[in-house]
Amino acid sequence: MRMGVLMTAPAIALLFLFTLGPALYAFYLSFFSWSLLNRMHYAGLSNFGYLLTSHLFWTAVANTASFALVVVPTQTMVALVIAVLLNQNLPARGFFRLAFFFPAVSSSAVISIIFMWIYNKFGILNGLLATLGLHGPNWLANPLFALKAIMIMNIWTTSGYFMVVFLSGLQAIPQSIYDAAEIDGASAWQRFIRVTVPLLKPTTFFVVVMGIIGTLQMFDQSFILSGGTGGPLHSTTTVVLLIYQYIFSYGKVGYGAAATVILFAVTMGVTLVVNRWLGKAIEY
Amino acid sequence: MAQGRTSRRARSRISRAAYLVILAFGALAMFIPFAWSLSTSLKPLSEALAYPPQWIPRVFDWANYVKIWKLVPLARWFGNSAIAAFGVTVANLVLDSMAGYALARLDFRGKRLLFLGVLAMLMVPFQSVMLPVYIILKDLGLLDNYYGLILPLAVQAVGVFLMRQAFLNLPEELEDAAAMDGAGRFRMFWQLSLPLVIPSLLTLGLISFMLSWNNFLLPLLVANQPNLWTVPLGVVMFQQEYFVNWPYLMAAAVMTTIPVAVVFLAFQKWFVKGIATTGIR
Repeated sequence: MRMGVLMTAPAIALLFLFTLGPALYAFYLSFFSWSLLNRMHYAGLSNFGYLLTSHLFWTAVANTASFALVVVPTQTMVALVIAVLLNQNLPARGFFRLAFFFPAVSSSAVISIIFMWIYNKFGILNGLLATLGLHGPNWLANPLFALKAIMIMNIWTTSGYFMVVFLSGLQAIPQSIYDAAEIDGASAWQRFIRVTVPLLKPTTFFVVVMGIIGTLQMFDQSFILSGGTGGPLHSTTTVVLLIYQYIFSYGKVGYGAAATVILFAVTMGVTLVVNRWLGKAIEY
Repeated sequence: MAQGRTSRRARSRISRAAYLVILAFGALAMFIPFAWSLSTSLKPLSEALAYPPQWIPRVFDWANYVKIWKLVPLARWFGNSAIAAFGVTVANLVLDSMAGYALARLDFRGKRLLFLGVLAMLMVPFQSVMLPVYIILKDLGLLDNYYGLILPLAVQAVGVFLMRQAFLNLPEELEDAAAMDGAGRFRMFWQLSLPLVIPSLLTLGLISFMLSWNNFLLPLLVANQPNLWTVPLGVVMFQQEYFVNWPYLMAAAVMTTIPVAVVFLAFQKWFVKGIATTGIR
């Protein structure tokens, strides 16, 4: 029917222009040497060759990987614990849900600015640490701490979002299973490990996959907290921030496109691996 | 036996109290950054920089909130954000629901392929295609104008998916009756089915609005001139210029957060529903 094509055409056209098309275009561009201003030159695989021997690229990969490896498990566990607690019959649940969820709907730019002030050498965080007798570092100026500061901020922001995802997953588990487990004498901890965790597997899969995709694309926070430099000493340079710098600072479109292709392949690959590992059919 | 029951009840009361304490500390951790930005925004610079930091300002000084409007074109940035968010929201409501309806209700060649394509695009985050998108925007002459802030976000795969689900849930008999009366397909969609999925439209509208309002990367790519900056971009650029004046920055942060907070409080239920329906498939 012609109507079906007509009604989908605008959406498909825009999705193609700004999502699938760009992905294919990046693949094409990765074989060329181009600065946006000069003429394109076919460069074969040399862009990939450059990246694989570039110290800076591997630094960005290491930063991105450690960011994902710390943030994804932590935010998943924090989100799960809060969701399980909120799923109990406690007073003020609505208030707590609101409080945990709000950072997730705030602008990442504004949150980053607020945390820059919190992480200030003479800021409130170090003030709080001082009352505990601890000497806080100059978080964002110290290469050992800058990425960790962004990790903490990110966990703070996104845990609430995934908490809501877990809550809706929890509400799909029938109460009768818990009642039966309780009659069989299962403790609260056993009910959590033996009932909640296995039955939440599809939700956990979704949370982990979305967490991985999100952390591998981290850009805003690094860009803002480092003033666009990825510093200090490239300690907050992520892959996407490097792609941005390849276009706007170095004028190397080919390197950026090759990095885009690698990021794509890694994101897809990790998603498939997690799919095999967590995505097996659940058994009741 | 009776003793066992009381001790179990006592234990459950203790664990409930422990849960509440954990949640209260968590909520406090969520609250502190916002409270701190509000507190700083009400201090003169000298007091804001005092160490150790003071939680309560000595005098509540609203001057920062007034001065910042003169210092930077904040009204202009709010206007830009509103135009972009409005455009993105309307475009998604119309285009996503049309496509979602066709994929749910109509038969046409290539439908399965298109649906699989939409599903695949769910997995492509905007950041990862930033470089080619920038070049495409540049080639189409969409840099430094509002279309550039709207078109890349005008359709979301997740929105098409959400609307398809909504239309699949409507009973088919409804439209069969309308078809007997000779209503055309588009009229059926527009007059009959669309009003029945208003809850999903509300969810989609919220997702789209927030996506645009909070977006940082797209304005960063598109808007080179300050008069086209949106609030998040403007605040960040302002920070890089006035990085020592934290009270101004925190006043800007508070004012940017307020519209989001109002929308969020008013429509909290729909946000949660949006996550539940798009999150879990």
